[in-house]
Amino acid sequence: MTTQTDRPEATESLDTSGLLCPLPVYKAAMVLGKLREGEVLHLTCTDPGSLEDIPAMARQRGDVLLASEDRGDTQVFWIGKGAS
Amino acid sequence: MTATLSSESLSLGTDAEARRFGDIRDLLPNVHNPTPLVRVNRVGTLAGVETYLKLEWLNPFGSVKDRAAAYLLAGMAERGDLDGRDIVEASSGNTAIALAALAALAGKHLTVTIPDGVPEEKKVMLRMLGAEVWETPDDLCPVNHPKDGAIALARSLAASEGGSRFAMANQYENEDNVRAHYETTGPEIWRQTEGNVRYFVAGLGTTGTITGTGRYLKERDPSIRVIAVEPHKGHRLPGLKSFKEAKEPGILDWDIIDEVIHVADQPAYEITKRLHREEGLIVGPSTGAVVHAINQLGDTARGIAVGISPDSGSKYSSYFSDVLGDDGLPKI
Repeated sequence: MTTQTDRPEATESLDTSGLLCPLPVYKAAMVLGKLREGEVLHLTCTDPGSLEDIPAMARQRGDVLLASEDRGDTQVFWIGKGAS
Repeated sequence: MTATLSSESLSLGTDAEARRFGDIRDLLPNVHNPTPLVRVNRVGTLAGVETYLKLEWLNPFGSVKDRAAAYLLAGMAERGDLDGRDIVEASSGNTAIALAALAALAGKHLTVTIPDGVPEEKKVMLRMLGAEVWETPDDLCPVNHPKDGAIALARSLAASEGGSRFAMANQYENEDNVRAHYETTGPEIWRQTEGNVRYFVAGLGTTGTITGTGRYLKERDPSIRVIAVEPHKGHRLPGLKSFKEAKEPGILDWDIIDEVIHVADQPAYEITKRLHREEGLIVGPSTGAVVHAINQLGDTARGIAVGISPDSGSKYSSYFSDVLGDDGLPKI
């Protein structure tokens, strides 16, 4: 298990288990679009591509990847909503 | 056809000669019920060439994609793909509109992933038809993924959850798309021109039209020239694709295509405007691109050219308002 930082408190949770890229990216972007600056999305993925795609998506959108965990079959991310 | 008389109601069957149809699907085109071929008299300017447009927007669901959608759906049903599943497809609108209508008639639901830049009119029409519309940016996947985010998203919807929820029509890879045009569009054009067509011109998009129609016509007469119309990279011609930025569909057969004519947005829109104003043909922008390409065939071109007019201008009023600027407004 890889832990990037401590686990932040989440405002919203989204479980994309079983969904393949780019569905997790699409759904995560939709939820993040509804959050306010500083609020946190707790995102669960099972597609290994998410390890690269989710941090890249967060960077592109101007959001902040606060923490991530690679649990083998599952990847978990905490993403802070940036300024729109 | 016969009328069925019961004690409670009279039911008239389909009678194509009387233009009476018992079901909207009976209006789908075939060699006995072709879409019209109409001569372009004022905007087709090339000496020695008679330009005809095949008005595919007179199909029941409004575009050339009615043909592909009917064949795609029939193929999926035949293979059992629809047993317990709904349909997902990536589409810039026309295929989805036809699929949504046909799916609803078959008791199925359509989810459509739609790329950036599709006019609002099409998105609203899809929702009116009961489809679920997922708007998708082309660069959806930020890492190691090509353009065409809508196709990637439709694929992932079909593959996710063990493929249990959706079957993908997959117009870009499904040979039923080609077969639709090989069995309908090609024979219609051959018959309507009495075998005298010399040039067949169609835009590159999913490429089912050019591959299927071109294949049929080449089999009848190998000297018929099949011309593809390709927009420039970063274009704004809905329904057409530049393969400099989009992945080539699996169904595309380059062996059938004799020449590719590249068309820029501006001349395509200018010709579209002229088709409206001088020919009374209320066509979409891709038809303007096709007629512009026919006008570029060269001085030695002779004979009948048939271009595909994929859809009507009614779905593009938001695009046309940009192109028009203050044209048509009172000058005060």
